Amino acid sequence: MASFRQPALRLLASSSFRRASPTVFNTTRSLASIATDAPTPAKKEPLLKKFTIYRWSPDEPTKKPHMQEYTLDLNETGPMVLDALIRIKNELDPTLTFRRSCREGICGSCAMNIEGTNTLACLCRISRDTSQATRIYPLPHMYIVKDLVPDLTNFYKQYKSIKPYLQRKEPTEDGKEIRQSKEERKKLDGLYECILCACCSTSCPSYWWNQEEYLGPAVLMQAYRWLADSRDQMSGQRKDALENSMSLYRCHTIMNCARTCPKGLNPGLAIAKIKKMMVVGA
Amino acid sequence: MASTFRSTTRLLASRPTSAIRLLPHTRVAAFHASQRQQILPPGPQVVQGTVNDPVPIPTPNAAHGSYHWAFERLIALGMVPLCVAPFAAGTANPALDAALGTALVLHSHIGFDACVTDYFPKRQYPKLRSFMVWLLRGATVTVAVGLFSFQTNDVGLTEGVKKMWKA
Amino acid sequence: MITTESVPASSADSILASQRLNRPVSPHLTIYQPQLTWYLSMTTRITGVGLSGIFYLYTIGYVFLSPFGVDMSIANISRKWGEMGTAVKMAVKAPIAAMFGFHFWNGVRHLVWDTGRELTVRGVYRTGYGVLGLTAASTLGLLVL
Repeated sequence: MASFRQPALRLLASSSFRRASPTVFNTTRSLASIATDAPTPAKKEPLLKKFTIYRWSPDEPTKKPHMQEYTLDLNETGPMVLDALIRIKNELDPTLTFRRSCREGICGSCAMNIEGTNTLACLCRISRDTSQATRIYPLPHMYIVKDLVPDLTNFYKQYKSIKPYLQRKEPTEDGKEIRQSKEERKKLDGLYECILCACCSTSCPSYWWNQEEYLGPAVLMQAYRWLADSRDQMSGQRKDALENSMSLYRCHTIMNCARTCPKGLNPGLAIAKIKKMMVVGA
Repeated sequence: MASTFRSTTRLLASRPTSAIRLLPHTRVAAFHASQRQQILPPGPQVVQGTVNDPVPIPTPNAAHGSYHWAFERLIALGMVPLCVAPFAAGTANPALDAALGTALVLHSHIGFDACVTDYFPKRQYPKLRSFMVWLLRGATVTVAVGLFSFQTNDVGLTEGVKKMWKA
Repeated sequence: MITTESVPASSADSILASQRLNRPVSPHLTIYQPQLTWYLSMTTRITGVGLSGIFYLYTIGYVFLSPFGVDMSIANISRKWGEMGTAVKMAVKAPIAAMFGFHFWNGVRHLVWDTGRELTVRGVYRTGYGVLGLTAASTLGLLVL
């Protein structure tokens, strides 16, 4: 690919910043590549951390769920709980089952209860305090498929029921795109970023007791996202879907949801706004 | 060194503990410890339809929805001055007394009703739920009758509370 | 010898339904971190049930026991109650005052939330500690009345 090389060299030659000739350039590069005998860092003492993890297998359904303890050297493990789980699965116990995908806190797969709080394992740093074991449970009050994997079927069915898509009665006056002012778009900030990880819904005691009929903070925040969208024209029907004793009104403003959201969102506030809309908007 | 370490951890991993320990960090509710037992077991998982079928939307009923919520908040808002005014007013004021009594009965009933709706799910425990709903209604009617009789034949709510507090 | 079972595709739903029946429910109350959010909410409910419970029990007793000659009037009950020792009276009045104080102030906090205010994590904690402080103050105030 000599053709590529030509312009680059010309650029190098033309730059007034560093008139480094290719030879100088090459020698500096080769200087860096000659490995000097730098002292190798001393091998660190293993920092052993215990993890107690909830286990249950559908292959042995009569065996009660139990906690299993694993010990890892934190000096060899990545900083996040998901790194530890992957290491445990790779090196200690391949049967440990959990969901994971992006490892960067955007997909919502690795949602679980760590040290008593619902969060994403890929965003939760491992506590360096080796005197306490890190307790890892699946999302609370969910039917468990295996180990740390909850069945989110009902959660997704509830999400579908609120019709999470733009609904219009008629196209715009001039037939062009649906326009929205900056202020109207700003109303959606803090709502659209939800990754549907289910951390908030499974932290809500009302959702624990009434999972089937109460929609839960995640789904309700998305219901509000569509109610607050100025481009949507079906607010009446959306509000009618919530006009019953269970879907919305099992919320007693416990606010566990906002406290636990790993993305820093506030479903509790969105629900309060829905309640106001239900009464005022009529 | 590394291999022996790995094998000991493998050993540790293969000995599961038999029960979920109540870990030292968890604390039981300070007051009613029986609150936990009051929560009925959830029962086996039943899913209607597939994951692609949305959960059914109940028929809209504002009486149980937004009207109920608005009424509940109005009573609660009314109770804030009503809990203070009759006692601050000094002499037994029958109108304030009646207002407090009515608001208190309504507020208590709505509160108990929320507990029944939360803790007795209709699909899993239909008969128990019906029983609790009617028991609550019966109790509230009895309390309303009793309170009325108390206001007329006895000293009334405000005076009663004052007497019991200062006895 | 590995044996395989021939299962029709149409039985997938019924197999899933039968698997679902075996599934345990993950722990909740026992493992969730104690936080101001749900602890104060739980306490509001418990205090409400407690206070209304006392009110209901007394009034229902008034209706059902009076016909049987049991004197449920305030004159009688307050007299019997007045005869109790100060320690007993304090031991009963202190929790009732605390329950009423807490339920009242947290009720105000709920009404503030219904307007949409203080519904952030910071606001919840700030108002939560405020409620606890006000409860302590009003309990003392009610006890010295």
